[in-house]
Amino acid sequence: MKIGFELNGKAASLEIEPRETLAEVLRARCRLTGVKLSCEAQVCGSCTVLVDGLPVSACTYLAYEIRDKRVTTIEGLADPPGRLHPLQQAFLDHFAFQCGFCTPGMILAAKSLLDENVHVSDEEIIAYMSGNLCRCTGYLGILKAIRQASAEMKATWKENRSTS
Amino acid sequence: MTTLSRFEIDQPGSVAEASQMLGHYGDQAAIYAGGTELLLAMRHRALSYKHLIDLKVIPGLNAIKARDGVIEIGAACTHRTIESSSLVREMQPVFAELESQVANIRVRATGTLGGNLCFAEPHSDPATMLLVLGATVWIESARGTREIPIEKLIAGAYANHLAPGEILTRIVVPCGKSNHRAAYMKFQIHERPTLGLGLWLETLDGGRTFTAARVAVGCVSPFPHRAPVAEALLTGSRAEVEKHLPETAALIADGADLVDDHEGSAEYKRHLVDVFLRRTFLKAVGLRISS
Amino acid sequence: MLAIGKVRFVGEPVAAVIGADQLSAQEALDKIKVEYEELVPVLDVESALAPGGVLVHGMDYIGGAFRGFDDFPGGTKNICQAVHVEWGDVDAAFASAAHIAEGEYYFPMVYAYAMEPYVAVADYDSKGQLTVYSSAQHPFMVRHDLAEIFDLPLNSVRVIVPYVGGGYGSKSYTKIEPLTAACSWKVSRPVKLQLSVEEAFLTTRSDDARVYIRTAVDDSGKLIAKQATIHLDTGAYAENSPMVCRKAANRIVGPYRFPHVRVDCLAIYTNTVPASSYRGLGAAQITFPVESQMDELAHKIGCDPQEFRLRNLAHSGESIHPGLRPIDADVPGDIRLAAETLRSNGPLALKHGRSVCCSCSDAGAHPVTLAMVHVYADGSVSVMSGSTEIGQGSHTVLAQIAAEEMGVPLGKVRLVGSDTGVTLFERSTGASRTTTLMGRAVMEACREAITQCKSMAAELLGVPAGEFTEERGGIRHGKDWLSWPEIIERYFQMEGCGIIGRAYLRRAGALKAVPVFWEIGVVGVEIALDEETGKISLDTLVTVGDVGLAIHPAMTESQDLGAATMGLGIGLFEELIYEGQQLMNGTLLEYRVPRFSDLARRVELKLVENHDGVGPYGAKGGGEGCVNPIGACLANALYQAAGVRIRRLPLTPERVWKALQEQKSQAPASQRKPPAAPKTDVTKTTA
Repeated sequence: MKIGFELNGKAASLEIEPRETLAEVLRARCRLTGVKLSCEAQVCGSCTVLVDGLPVSACTYLAYEIRDKRVTTIEGLADPPGRLHPLQQAFLDHFAFQCGFCTPGMILAAKSLLDENVHVSDEEIIAYMSGNLCRCTGYLGILKAIRQASAEMKATWKENRSTS
Repeated sequence: MTTLSRFEIDQPGSVAEASQMLGHYGDQAAIYAGGTELLLAMRHRALSYKHLIDLKVIPGLNAIKARDGVIEIGAACTHRTIESSSLVREMQPVFAELESQVANIRVRATGTLGGNLCFAEPHSDPATMLLVLGATVWIESARGTREIPIEKLIAGAYANHLAPGEILTRIVVPCGKSNHRAAYMKFQIHERPTLGLGLWLETLDGGRTFTAARVAVGCVSPFPHRAPVAEALLTGSRAEVEKHLPETAALIADGADLVDDHEGSAEYKRHLVDVFLRRTFLKAVGLRISS
Repeated sequence: MLAIGKVRFVGEPVAAVIGADQLSAQEALDKIKVEYEELVPVLDVESALAPGGVLVHGMDYIGGAFRGFDDFPGGTKNICQAVHVEWGDVDAAFASAAHIAEGEYYFPMVYAYAMEPYVAVADYDSKGQLTVYSSAQHPFMVRHDLAEIFDLPLNSVRVIVPYVGGGYGSKSYTKIEPLTAACSWKVSRPVKLQLSVEEAFLTTRSDDARVYIRTAVDDSGKLIAKQATIHLDTGAYAENSPMVCRKAANRIVGPYRFPHVRVDCLAIYTNTVPASSYRGLGAAQITFPVESQMDELAHKIGCDPQEFRLRNLAHSGESIHPGLRPIDADVPGDIRLAAETLRSNGPLALKHGRSVCCSCSDAGAHPVTLAMVHVYADGSVSVMSGSTEIGQGSHTVLAQIAAEEMGVPLGKVRLVGSDTGVTLFERSTGASRTTTLMGRAVMEACREAITQCKSMAAELLGVPAGEFTEERGGIRHGKDWLSWPEIIERYFQMEGCGIIGRAYLRRAGALKAVPVFWEIGVVGVEIALDEETGKISLDTLVTVGDVGLAIHPAMTESQDLGAATMGLGIGLFEELIYEGQQLMNGTLLEYRVPRFSDLARRVELKLVENHDGVGPYGAKGGGEGCVNPIGACLANALYQAAGVRIRRLPLTPERVWKALQEQKSQAPASQRKPPAAPKTDVTKTTA
């Protein structure tokens, strides 16, 4: 079947089979290999992508579901001129990854969290992010990175409000 | 890496059409909503279907509405929709809170309440609480519609009482009232809870005595159990109820068909029922839980 | 590659299907019907060692995994490897001891869960060139095995390892590469094999360990003797367990002075998933019993556990193993630092417990490490390293070293990663060796390039090299300053030119003594116990990285926290569970690893930098040590919190609850209290 959707801000359309998962389509057809496959059971979060702003496990989510929806992968986060998203920069600043396999999913889950509520407490970060696993870092760097991005996004938010 | 086998997706225009499709394909077809559990089972070849009938495309099944003291939740509503619904948060906050703690954010964003109840995974949260809230479900088919209490839907682990061609279309949850006290707590070590305990109490005097009670325990056995014999001990003066909590817990455990599994021995689960009945009671009546 | 005739564990590959795409391969696979004749399996070490029992192999194996071993065990009786360590007169020492503690401990089978499962792409071309892209940690060992299996010269096997999604030891040695290569040979096309996590669960695990250990002290509280028997369940194939066996036997001595030691360690075959390297390599398995028993013995003689440790720890420069390198770390200082940090939490709350434990590992593995740097006329530098970048940050650290030596900004240095067709030989990426050995090799390679530049400069300037001085990034001759790139360009009179510097490290000189360095793990924890459910949560975690010099402090700390977090998983909930020959919890739905919510309330990551390693600038390795002590820390802290001693990991809520129940049923009400508060320090109780 043919589906139309928005991929990282651009209109896209693809001929898909109903059995194809979003991860398969994004990795093999769209060459967006930032979508990582690990547990394939919706536990680890490494295949997290955003569909209409909400995180889904692309490993167990049919590509069929993205019809007429917005899909965001890690490749779509930085501004076109190469300016990193505040979360990407914060992950670098706090060494919030080692092998990096969980990182795209972590950043996208965190983006969804902060887009929904930028005034987020440590408890809220921990509760929301507990569905994304990292085997390398022990999570502290990731927590610090999300805190930093939250502070920066809050500042931008205030700035935008005062100038509008 | 494993991949799904080939299948078709069918898009019915109405529940009646979906029911006809089910009748037409027989066991070659399954209702597909969020797919969080169905697709996992299909990937593992535990289930195999040639047709998935997409419930989400049927208009109206993802709505949440209030009517005559109840909340009607469309079967295709995701956990996420329910947890963030201002209607549910206002009218039955304990259920909104439960929904906000189901699995992880990705499962909540895709998994539906209807799918959750029909799939009947033994370590699932919502059914346990719906039992004590007195929820009912609408079952529709080409033959018509029936409304049954949630008890009548639950058949066992991964089993429900839907007849061939029948589709769960909405879940009806009575609204909370100011003289209700309700809470749900779970104990979780692994990915899925080891125990979930739901409690609902009615009081006419601000919490000094309880005139009605419902309690259910889930995850400790193949399917969630309400414990009517124990509920009798949960009515009366608060002091009496508190005094009898250990006996009440024992009755709940007796009726729950506790099983030994990797989540824990039946003996340990019996103990957890005792601990969590007290904690849930204290949470329901609004006290801080000391551990 | 594939089981022939006999399947020795559930999960052993029996057939391979090659398809044009994943779906067609899978559909073909679904059509294969395998008929098995069921044999009597050997499922635990007791039945494996029982006289007259079934033999898993029944023949001697001399395979790749035994490389470096002189002593073959003789593969009968299901013994894969036996290691004996002994010095002094252990029997006499125990006979004269003032106090003895003894006990049996169990460390579970665990799975490393690197998030990227095993993956390989093989291309066996018509000219007899085999190219394999793999997630392997040790590309040169994989090359060796592929060359042997396919009878190819080393120059016809090229193993390339791009960035790897975690390993923690589980990607050591050869895994799926030979099968992938054989498939490519069969179809004369590139073939990709990508395992799922569930298949990875059935590929490698850690050895579990049953450890009997007894420790003796004299009447002044000085350790005099240790005796231990270690039984490792190695699974169906040797993998790297012979080395785990060797290291567990060495490492059980700990950083303590023992005049008398006797250790017997057996790696034992069973019909389960083969065990291999896992972060700590045998050290986590034995540190749990060693450091639990240190506390037990301290309590027995009425001494504070920390004081007891400090009294018996080897100081820097002292020898703990006859013939091995003396201790190159300040373990007593590390312990004090961890204890002080914990103590700043203030008085211990009710149902809380604290503990500081340590481990000491002969690390670095066999030092053969070759490196090469390209220094280009445009001022950029390439470092050619056969060390795999697996998340430990070696590409960053090696680049830092090259930038420092060549006097160029970090941004001018690029790493060329593991590619046996391009990068020089590196024995392995493991045993925490990369900073120490590859770091030193890169440093020496840079120095060699500089030496070449200097003689070029001497020729260009027409003066002896002694007449100019080296200054960061180049030389000064009178008023003139020439950078290394300038010298290279002027020497060759050619743009775009470059030179190479190289270094060959082997077991000689500063690297003659083994181990390359002692890797120290020091961890402190404070736990909170929910007595009703038995659930332990981590209140405070302190790690101490005694690393000589942290070339990249933030990454060093992050390695320590990562290692401690893995240890926490084993300490609290991770365990592979077998029922019969079936692994029952081989999915992430059932096998629980640490998650965000397990993060301690307070985390303190300390670094100790005494420049006492043989690596560059006095650095030495880290990143594994902190996995080892956690299990004992948790068990000791639990003892302080509730007075129960559990000698089996993980400390699941149910296991703790049962121990508490047993304690209640045994002790009369008046005795139900935690152990008395010792006089000093970490174990101070105010309850």
